[in-house]
Amino acid sequence: MNRKILVLLLGLMLFLILPSLAFAQVQVRVRIIEASNAGPSIDPALRDVHDQLGSLFNFSSYRLLRDVNLNLAGNRPVEVPVHAGRSMEVTLVGEYGKMVELRIKITREGLPVLNTQVRLSSGRTILIGGPRHGGGVLIFALSAKF
Amino acid sequence: MKDSCSSVSELLEKYHDQEVTKQERSLVEDHLSECSACRVLATEMKELGSLLKAPVEEAAGKEDFYWVWQKVQREIQERPRLTWWESLRSRLGVSPLFRKKVWVPALTAAMLILSLIVVPALMRENTSPTKLSTVEYVESPDYNVMIYEEEKGNVTVIWLFDGPDQEAPTS
Amino acid sequence: MSYDEAELISRCQQGDQDALKEIFDRYQIKVYRIAYGVVRHREDALDIVQEVFIKLYRSIRNFKGKSNFYTYLYRMAMNTAIDHTRKREKIPPVSLDGEDAFQPAEDPEKGADRILLKKELEGELKAAMEKLPSDQKAVILLREVEGLSYQEIAEVTECSIGTVMSRLHYARKKLQEYLKDYVKPRD
Repeated sequence: MNRKILVLLLGLMLFLILPSLAFAQVQVRVRIIEASNAGPSIDPALRDVHDQLGSLFNFSSYRLLRDVNLNLAGNRPVEVPVHAGRSMEVTLVGEYGKMVELRIKITREGLPVLNTQVRLSSGRTILIGGPRHGGGVLIFALSAKF
Repeated sequence: MKDSCSSVSELLEKYHDQEVTKQERSLVEDHLSECSACRVLATEMKELGSLLKAPVEEAAGKEDFYWVWQKVQREIQERPRLTWWESLRSRLGVSPLFRKKVWVPALTAAMLILSLIVVPALMRENTSPTKLSTVEYVESPDYNVMIYEEEKGNVTVIWLFDGPDQEAPTS
Repeated sequence: MSYDEAELISRCQQGDQDALKEIFDRYQIKVYRIAYGVVRHREDALDIVQEVFIKLYRSIRNFKGKSNFYTYLYRMAMNTAIDHTRKREKIPPVSLDGEDAFQPAEDPEKGADRILLKKELEGELKAAMEKLPSDQKAVILLREVEGLSYQEIAEVTECSIGTVMSRLHYARKKLQEYLKDYVKPRD
């Protein structure tokens, strides 16, 4: 009898953790782009976003440095190493209806550069840019799919 | 000398591979101290080993396997191997309890509770605004920050400025 | 096999991906070394590592614990790497325009020569290894790169110790012939 009660309690716990299990597995695409005015060139890997970048920014050249897909589970930070001692950490912190909330931290040599928390709908892109890199700047493009 | 060379040369590889007995080692080392030709062979074997090993060690030392793991994880998640109940069992790690006569009532209880509470929650209309993105907060110790949202392009921009002299790069 | 490893394997057999990650962390470098030793190409070696751990996850239930786990994994790694080389119709030669060629050197003239020589040697090594039959390639790598004993090599390659020794002997003979310009005794 005690065993059956224990199992029923386990079942109840299962129900309580089910939402967080279901809450996992949001895919976030991270593209790290170097934007500069060093000549007119667009990395072929960025053709799909060239128009978008062109409509937003004045740079003449865009080069893709890294393109990764992250599978995020609730509250488990994933670190993305970036060039020149920088690092980006992305954490899925919540799901709200048709939006997800991401915490994004960018550091350089271990020191904080940016800490932000954003809510995005599926397919929406967030661009974080500005840190200098080489002769240009870095742009981090994140978009979530769920 | 020729005879001892031929008998030792058979042992040289075993010696190089550290597979000799104490007696064999003694025999080889005594011979090597006297025979330059065999010493050359032994050294060549050692050089060949280094030649094979060094680039591999160097390559391995440079690698960061983070991305490899990401791909492995994605692949095994996209094509799961286990049945759902096996997967559940392993997650909870209480395999002795998961015999049919035990988990069936447990699961039934969980489903009942689920249907009483979660389903009505799901049925509720989503009252949150249909905004495509929200920046909850931004902090940067060293930069000024500009936030720009473009509805048409489905994009939000967070731009970091060094200071007032760095112009916004926006069109 | 330690109890700790036995427990990890058991959990992995039940589909625990955290256990697989633990195994991955422990063995990633060893598997990479075998892969790189065979293919001598960074990206291919990384692909092989990925393939090995996916295969491991899918087949680990077949591991009954009769042999050491690492010999099971090494066998899988070696077979996957060798299969990989067989699948490729043509293996491109090492390019002197690879990223290593653009690393800044302390003395630009000396540095360039050193880089070229290194690239040449890597090319020669790769070509020499390709000429070896796969069974000889396997034993020479397990011995010289991984430092396995004859017994361990025999377990991985599923042959006798005598066969291991024979294959090692022929592999060394061939490689010394192919690479005689680079294997210079320093007496």
